[in-house]
Amino acid sequence: MKRTRRNVLGAPGVSILTLSALLLVMAVMPAQLCAQAAPTTFSVFRSFNPPPFDFNDAFYTLNGIDPNKLDTTPAQRFGIFRQTGPPARNNGQLNWVVDNSNTDPDRKNVRILATTAGYIDDGTGAATQFISLIAFVMDQTFFTGVPDKRGNLMLTIVGDFEAYAAIKQKQPNGTFLTQPCRASLGITTNCFSVASVATPVLRQDWRFATNRNGIDGSSGHGFGYFCDDILGMWIITYFYFTADAVGPNPTPVCNTVLSNLVAKNGASLDGTPIIKTADELNNQLEANNCGAEFQLDQGGGDFGPVWLICPALPDPRNGAIAPDAFLDQVFQPNGIPLDLTFTINFACLKFLGSFCNEFPQTTVTMGQQPATPQ
Amino acid sequence: MPDAIGKHSRRSFIGLAGAGTALAFTRQKTLKIAQWSHFAPGFDEWFDTEYVKEWGAQHDTHVIVDHIPVDKIDARATVEVAARKGHDLFMFPWPPATFQQHAIDHTEIYQSVGNRHGNVNALGHRSTFNPKTKRYFAFADSWIPAPIHYFQDYWGEANTPLGPSNYDTLRAGAKKIRTQRSIPCGLALAPGLESNITLHTALLAFRTSVQDDEGDVCINSSHMTVEALRFFKSLYEMAGTPEALTWGPSGNARAMLARKTSCTTNAISLLRTAEKENPDLAGNIQLRPPLLGPGGVLAVPHVTSCYVVWNFAENKDGAKQFLVDLIDNFKTVFEKSGSCNFPIYQNTVPDLIHQLSKDPNGGPLFKYEALKDALKWTRNLGFPGFATPEYMETFNTSVIPRMFAAVVKGSLSPEDAARSAESEMKRIYEKWRQV
Repeated sequence: MKRTRRNVLGAPGVSILTLSALLLVMAVMPAQLCAQAAPTTFSVFRSFNPPPFDFNDAFYTLNGIDPNKLDTTPAQRFGIFRQTGPPARNNGQLNWVVDNSNTDPDRKNVRILATTAGYIDDGTGAATQFISLIAFVMDQTFFTGVPDKRGNLMLTIVGDFEAYAAIKQKQPNGTFLTQPCRASLGITTNCFSVASVATPVLRQDWRFATNRNGIDGSSGHGFGYFCDDILGMWIITYFYFTADAVGPNPTPVCNTVLSNLVAKNGASLDGTPIIKTADELNNQLEANNCGAEFQLDQGGGDFGPVWLICPALPDPRNGAIAPDAFLDQVFQPNGIPLDLTFTINFACLKFLGSFCNEFPQTTVTMGQQPATPQ
Repeated sequence: MPDAIGKHSRRSFIGLAGAGTALAFTRQKTLKIAQWSHFAPGFDEWFDTEYVKEWGAQHDTHVIVDHIPVDKIDARATVEVAARKGHDLFMFPWPPATFQQHAIDHTEIYQSVGNRHGNVNALGHRSTFNPKTKRYFAFADSWIPAPIHYFQDYWGEANTPLGPSNYDTLRAGAKKIRTQRSIPCGLALAPGLESNITLHTALLAFRTSVQDDEGDVCINSSHMTVEALRFFKSLYEMAGTPEALTWGPSGNARAMLARKTSCTTNAISLLRTAEKENPDLAGNIQLRPPLLGPGGVLAVPHVTSCYVVWNFAENKDGAKQFLVDLIDNFKTVFEKSGSCNFPIYQNTVPDLIHQLSKDPNGGPLFKYEALKDALKWTRNLGFPGFATPEYMETFNTSVIPRMFAAVVKGSLSPEDAARSAESEMKRIYEKWRQV
């Protein structure tokens, strides 16, 4: 689907700071305003990447997922459930709409507006990943167990791609819960809940391993996210801070590790460091017993989501973020986003069709097509 | 037997010209091979009665094959090197790095095979090359993957009909099965090959290892070793069985075949045995790739098949020729091993994935397809370093299984067990650095 829009933004030589401020304001505007204004007022780039739609049932079946299970309450599939409410933050804000403009034969007419933010798990931790949280997969019975035409089980494919969820651990009294509730293991008290990964229960934004592939050996079976995981599924890896880090008597090593990470990345809603990369989690936290990770029982014994059907936008530029899309990210209690980088990137993508850093350093000359590196 | 053996052998192996050939006209040569007893039913019989006989006839050589139980391999090899007498060719189920001073440099064989089949793959290279001496101390012809085997009915009752695919689900599902059925998890814990494979695999999955990429001991450098130990203690308490601490060789496989456990890590010879002896049982056993852990999906091979030509061998040329020809005929080896022996030289079995997909015993779930990416998730023993003598002594003396067993039994805390294993490994590593 190729659509070309003309640049109608006004004066030449707008400073990037001014632009950023403008974008920030636009990004936090209620979605309804954006939806009304954006398509006609801010058409400044060539739009050829389609916005995200849900897959159709036949495509799910073909790829080893039972669509009937997705249509149940625990799965909360967009198109049936959650049209309002989280991830939407405002009254009347819609997470998805019925849109018959879809032309992809593998997808249906449910277009996703809620766009969840995450860091890329590639060593940079850049705030560049945007996904559509279509449904939750609660146990193995969601998988048909039938291999695809290349002989791959979706259960195996999705095991190579982890989405890292950070559930809040801090309690109202200021103390931390340092173990997850795992009903499957008999841990049900003095623990933080894993029943939901909705944005309000997160202490920081997600991390997504979209970059894993078979070429550099970063995926266990040699799969690539955009080539093989064609439902865009993730296995959720929960990560948290241990008692050595946030318990009553933290170790000196953990104190140092956490201080350094806060200085580098900033603090989460819990006051603990924001974790952006695998190195930070694996080699700084886990190697020193300051952090840990786990996955839920695939038999559903922990009563939380085990996997996500949550495809990342392959290229969020040039129209993939539609004018009526909104950003689902972690907010501070005062309503300010925890990480403004997502906010600004999202606004640039939505209104200008590119990441902000793809524009010239000092000015953006209006009247020209913004650069779109391939 | 394909014609290729005779044709290839006459043309491809440069080092065989000369005296040996002339001698063949005067008297028949002898080639003595020691080989570990293969787990796959029927393989040894085919090897002894068909393959070796035809090879011997084509090379005017009387071939003697002695099969040695896996757990006796090291002891037998030790006797031979002490006497500097025995077999010409000695086959190990793991990299025989500790015997390298008694082996010829196998570079010549790799070069000859390489001319026909391309370079040795990383698994073979890192299992048989000593980066210090720059010599190959053995020749790797094949390897056997180590997938998870699980009973579909037991795991289906635990709401995980596709089996455990990560360590957390292994523990949760196995706990449920033991609670409901009194059937424990069957991961091997008693010192031996199976527990070494299971637990070295677990270390990699927990993002830790015996040594680092420089070959230095790092077992206690990361807290993840302690995490792995804690996990196994918890797994044992919630879902294990004391019998796993006393099993002899293949005890875990026998327990599965007797339906006494819900899952285990093993070579697919377990499944092949079931197919032969009890097809109904075999139909209930499914395969999964190794479990996902914090370090990803990684495993060490159940077997890294490595041949050594002793430097005291009486028929070195025949031994070399035998290995070159074996690779030429590897497609047959793969088939006769029931798809157990995966090739080091992949182009010798170009339709490997097709064969796994079409396996007649694959069932409706095409169970053998679980192995098609095995080379992607398999790392050599010693990873991220090489299979060095010091690493292999650590392996052969079961330092890792003993470390886990101490924690599982409650005789040491995870922290103390990691420290104790580190001390033992450092002694081993120091000893070898002075060799």
